[in-house]
Amino acid sequence: MKNFALSLENVEKYFPPTLSGWRAFLDPVSRLTVPALRGISFDVQEGEVLALVGANGAGKSTLLRILTTLLLPTRGCARVRGFDTAAEPAKVRLQIGYHTGGDSCFYARLSARENLLLFAGLNNLTGAEAARRIDELAALFGIGELLDRQARTLSTGNIHRLGLARAMLHRPSVLILDEPTRSLDPLAAAEFRRFILQDIVGAHGTTLIFASHTLAEVEQLAGRVAVLDGGHLLACDTLAAIKSATGAASLEEALEIIIRRAARETG
Amino acid sequence: MSGAPSFVVTLRKLALLFRRDLAVARSYRAAFVVELFQALLAAASFYFLSRFVESPTLKRSLPPGADYFSFALVGVAFFDYLSVALGAFDGSLQEARQNGALEHLLVTQTSLPVILAGSSLYPFALLSLRTAIYIGWGAALFGFPLHGANWLGALLVLAASVLAFSGLGILSASYLLIFKRGNPVNWVILGLSSVVGGMMYPISVLPVWLQYVARLIPVTYSLEGMRAAILSHASIRELLPSIAGLLVFAAVFLPVSFAIFSWALRRTKVTGTLTHF
Repeated sequence: MKNFALSLENVEKYFPPTLSGWRAFLDPVSRLTVPALRGISFDVQEGEVLALVGANGAGKSTLLRILTTLLLPTRGCARVRGFDTAAEPAKVRLQIGYHTGGDSCFYARLSARENLLLFAGLNNLTGAEAARRIDELAALFGIGELLDRQARTLSTGNIHRLGLARAMLHRPSVLILDEPTRSLDPLAAAEFRRFILQDIVGAHGTTLIFASHTLAEVEQLAGRVAVLDGGHLLACDTLAAIKSATGAASLEEALEIIIRRAARETG
Repeated sequence: MSGAPSFVVTLRKLALLFRRDLAVARSYRAAFVVELFQALLAAASFYFLSRFVESPTLKRSLPPGADYFSFALVGVAFFDYLSVALGAFDGSLQEARQNGALEHLLVTQTSLPVILAGSSLYPFALLSLRTAIYIGWGAALFGFPLHGANWLGALLVLAASVLAFSGLGILSASYLLIFKRGNPVNWVILGLSSVVGGMMYPISVLPVWLQYVARLIPVTYSLEGMRAAILSHASIRELLPSIAGLLVFAAVFLPVSFAIFSWALRRTKVTGTLTHF
């Protein structure tokens, strides 16, 4: 069997219904009846870049959270470099770096360096290794000047760089990004994308899976695109193949056709 | 990557989490000074209360060698260990949830129990400092008796208390994992302990049936042991019943609470509510 960077086999995820009032006390025992992912299967090669696209609630973040071991799949199996995310979470976490587009994900009163030292230590780097790695990443990400400033004083763009530096501290082979440019202005987002493409994927051969609503970003970064809708995987192919299969001129048009066609088929 | 034995790596991580909390606390410089003077005011109010309520009847109810001021000061100072144990795990979980760092902590090579244990070190260290300040003010200004206290015995009682209370703290964190807030585990334990645990009055003043209830909660053994060690100068041998009682609670609470915590953690990964608050 070929070793993929990521491999999903018939992954399903159901959540319990959202309860309120006294019914919320039943939460720990309520049944998993709300589908979020249904029968998702695909593989990602080492060094490949795959984008997840789809409307809000399509299941993109759920899928990424399963890959990061933050969620357990209800059925099926997700593997990162051969390790099962449900059965071998510690081994999976050694392989992955994770960054979300939220801008409050650090200890605000600690400096950037203190934050990175904390996360490096929690990823089993010794103090000396952590200090060396932080200097390397600071040079790579251009945040050397900011390391001794409190995280709360950094701009959103710099917080993103810091978040990416944190995700790369332990040299992960798979990078998982959830809407990485969500709160960035267009110029900062473009710079961030160039950086990902040239310095992370290009220079280090890191496998990248990311979710995004920005189709220009998807076209710039992704080798393949997985289209999710209502928890179903509607397509997973190269941009060119998706456009040609739908006869669309743009990715936006292709997505509309794929989603409309799926809605017609399911009635 | 570190090739050190796993317990060394775990100790290093615990120290890192302690340093994180210390660094955050240092960034609020005025808080420590306020803490110092709050302890003075609390010690002063117990002193004047004790002057008001001191009587031969009360004196007979207290442990040998204790006046009401020192009895209440030890009760209040060490009762806080229970409050901190119940709040520390909850607090670190809530803080990480609210600042958005929890997901990122959980994708590191460190398990949630180690993160929670490390996050409880600073609150315990701060409380120990506050307790020392309480007692220091009491001794310097209001005649709290330090001479002859069995400090080693007090430390052993304290260690056993922290183990017993931590089991309850983990139980409380399990509740918070599932239900997010409004923690009745804390409310019941703290409420019951403050009424029957002997914080402000000896349990001998309670109705007999409540005295039996007091024997079922760890804080009773903790405060008895502390007062015996500090105020009555009890030997280690005399402290053994209190220490043994606390260790029995720890032996029961710790495995049960770890099992419940593991279930709660798994459940949040099933329901997708791990980072909700």
